[in-house]
Amino acid sequence: MAEIMPPESARCTFFFLYDGSKVKGEGDPTREGICYFYPEETPIDLQELLCGQLAGVGRCVSELSSSPVRILRMRRSKYAIRMKDDFFWALGCSEEVPTVSVCELLDQLINLFCFYNGPIRQSYQLNSQVVLAARWALYLSHLLAGTSELHHIFSCLRTIDSTNVDPLLLLKAALILQACQRCPLVLAGCILFRGRVVSTQMTPDLTMKVMVHESETHHKALKPNGPSTSSSFGGAVSSTTVFLTMSELQYLQSAPVDRELKFYSTPNKDALPKKTRLSRTLSDTPSSESEPSDPSASQSPLKVSSFSPRLSSSDNSDSVFSPAPSQSTANPLHPASPSLEPPLSNGKKTSHEAEEALDESYYHSFHSNGDGGSRIHDEGDVSALEENSSHLNGADGDAACGTVFDLRGTECGNEESYGDKASRRGNGSAEGYQAETGDLPPLSGVSDNADEAPLVPMTLYLHRVKGLVLALLVEPLFLSDTASMEEVYHSCLASLNGLEAHLRTISPGAPAAPGLSIFAHFDCIQSTLTSNLSGRPGGAPEHPFVRAISLLHSHFCNTETLQEAIIRSAGVAIYGTRSVAQETYFLQHGGSLRNSGIPNHQDSAFSLPRKARDKLLKHGVNLR
Amino acid sequence: MTTKTSLLKVILLGDGGVGKSSIMNRYVTNKFDAHLFHTIGVEFLNKDLEVDGHQVTLQIWDTAGQERFRSLRTPFYRGSDCCLLTFSVDDNQSFLNLGNWKKEFIYYADVKEPEKFPFVVLGNKLDVTERQVSAEEAQRWCQESGDFPYYETSAKDATNVAVAFEEAVRRVLAMDERTDHLIPTDTVKLHRKPRSATTCCS
Repeated sequence: MAEIMPPESARCTFFFLYDGSKVKGEGDPTREGICYFYPEETPIDLQELLCGQLAGVGRCVSELSSSPVRILRMRRSKYAIRMKDDFFWALGCSEEVPTVSVCELLDQLINLFCFYNGPIRQSYQLNSQVVLAARWALYLSHLLAGTSELHHIFSCLRTIDSTNVDPLLLLKAALILQACQRCPLVLAGCILFRGRVVSTQMTPDLTMKVMVHESETHHKALKPNGPSTSSSFGGAVSSTTVFLTMSELQYLQSAPVDRELKFYSTPNKDALPKKTRLSRTLSDTPSSESEPSDPSASQSPLKVSSFSPRLSSSDNSDSVFSPAPSQSTANPLHPASPSLEPPLSNGKKTSHEAEEALDESYYHSFHSNGDGGSRIHDEGDVSALEENSSHLNGADGDAACGTVFDLRGTECGNEESYGDKASRRGNGSAEGYQAETGDLPPLSGVSDNADEAPLVPMTLYLHRVKGLVLALLVEPLFLSDTASMEEVYHSCLASLNGLEAHLRTISPGAPAAPGLSIFAHFDCIQSTLTSNLSGRPGGAPEHPFVRAISLLHSHFCNTETLQEAIIRSAGVAIYGTRSVAQETYFLQHGGSLRNSGIPNHQDSAFSLPRKARDKLLKHGVNLR
Repeated sequence: MTTKTSLLKVILLGDGGVGKSSIMNRYVTNKFDAHLFHTIGVEFLNKDLEVDGHQVTLQIWDTAGQERFRSLRTPFYRGSDCCLLTFSVDDNQSFLNLGNWKKEFIYYADVKEPEKFPFVVLGNKLDVTERQVSAEEAQRWCQESGDFPYYETSAKDATNVAVAFEEAVRRVLAMDERTDHLIPTDTVKLHRKPRSATTCCS
């Protein structure tokens, strides 16, 4: 794929993680606080300078503006910033990278780290800095590597080129995943071929995280850090421990069929002091905005809202699944588990308080059906569910098995869910993030790393057949359950062999004849990109197109009401349109633009929307 | 005594629903699942076995029987060492279609000498009580079509499944021995890949 790639350095000139807790006193050297710095060869003096200044400015601005800093601009570069407790992350890039993209990149990076290593504080207590530095470098290189600039702009998934693939093969992949779910210990899975998604049952964010391990095992750069498995399956199978946020877990354990999902807020939500608030005044406002109209919050100490008006709760016979048992059984499997005390204690707390909380919560959820607490998150998850159902053709309900996870505090997951994206679009990036952090404290448990969102250890199981990988998120129990493992392994082996053979023999397909128009279509729900850009040699004519997309995408993200835009130079005009579900960009070559900048109704640029609608239909993009 | 392991590709063809996937699963994993979905395209499993002192890795290709999957399955006929034509003894139409399957295979596998190619015929679902195809009928068809070996199998009860596959292997080995005695020609044999014992394809 010959695509225009900015030098890696343009997307990430600097990245560092700074631990402020190590630098408290006047005499403490700044370098003590630097956990990781990229590029690693940067002189330590420069590292100290950047860390010291950015962290200082960041905290100062946060205090003054009463909202966490999301982005800092410095002359020709900008820095995405994230702060959590004493930790301070900054990712610097060149100016032309869209702000949303760099913020997403930083979020992805941090979320990736937590996915594979657990809560940040805990992982630094458990592992040496050197080990973790290697991991940061790995995740960073994974995120910066490969694919096109367009993929980076939208932070989208790398998918197989479905135009060359018989749709029946996509169905085959989806059926393999469903077959695996017949084992109740299997939560969800995805199938990847040569580092690209063929089919997935997970959210785009989660799929993206899983893909890192896939490429890692593929390149054998690093051994899986979890208990690697049974030699009986040869080298084809591996596994590692991963950490899911509550919202991710809740999504996985909800099945499209079983919408009897309940959502319980944590009882101590309002009782706990909100520790990470940087200000007691203004910063509270956006966070309450993110959970609009929640009257019960003020009325009842036990704030309960039904998860979604659509997911009404009525079935008391559903069993409540508490994370505690599976975690304790996981202990012998995962040496790291004892140190998981904090999330564990949180989980245990959940289990013994669940009973009493439950009765009341059913009551409340009945009576607060219309209240739409945390509406933003509702939207996100409903759309996620819908996406899932469309993906799976109404997958069976095995994933949920009629259990209901005690989801108190789920909304507080700091994952970048659709809801978060929505909130960011709605409130502007700073407030969006504000809303996220605002939500964090309530789920803080009781321990020293109280501010960490509870992360639930799960297992990522990988079955590789040459270039094809089946990745399953499974309960930790799965690895010790030989019968289940063999069942899953054998039930999909033949199909995986076949699918691999099919995909391998697909020719890359003749590159589309260089038409007069180029387009890029981003599906926000599935986080996928369709474009006729790829596969073309050169790329020079596309560069303005990509730059325009970068600019328009930023505008679309910042201006919620903006739906259509035309951006032009003297020689070329590019049309962009978006809805809740998609963003589409279109450029038509040829046909001189009869304009030089003065508004003119005869300007051919104004015919672009119509042309886009006509031309893109054959690519399956319907803009009507 | 040679320690070389040969990879033999055998392919199961026949109408949809006659039990091709079940036969493969029964033979390789010794399991039976009554609720298998239609196979889409092709699938395969490997099995190591020893027949008459020969170490063989049998690669069993299971195909989709439905007509609409034809374009997905036919590219994989090439390179087959043996073809197992499968019908169901409780479905006369599947028996009548055997000739079409044989033709389709010969065409897409690009078999040079169709009259010498080893076919084995399987009448599956022996466990079902209401037969539509008698053993005699099937035997007669096999006789007339080229003296193909005929086995009545039941993937559900594991009847005759292993025997049929072993027969397939014997046929292929016999073929090879015959050709080995011929004067070497300028053809290059591509389908018998020597396989070291350490690498594992499964």
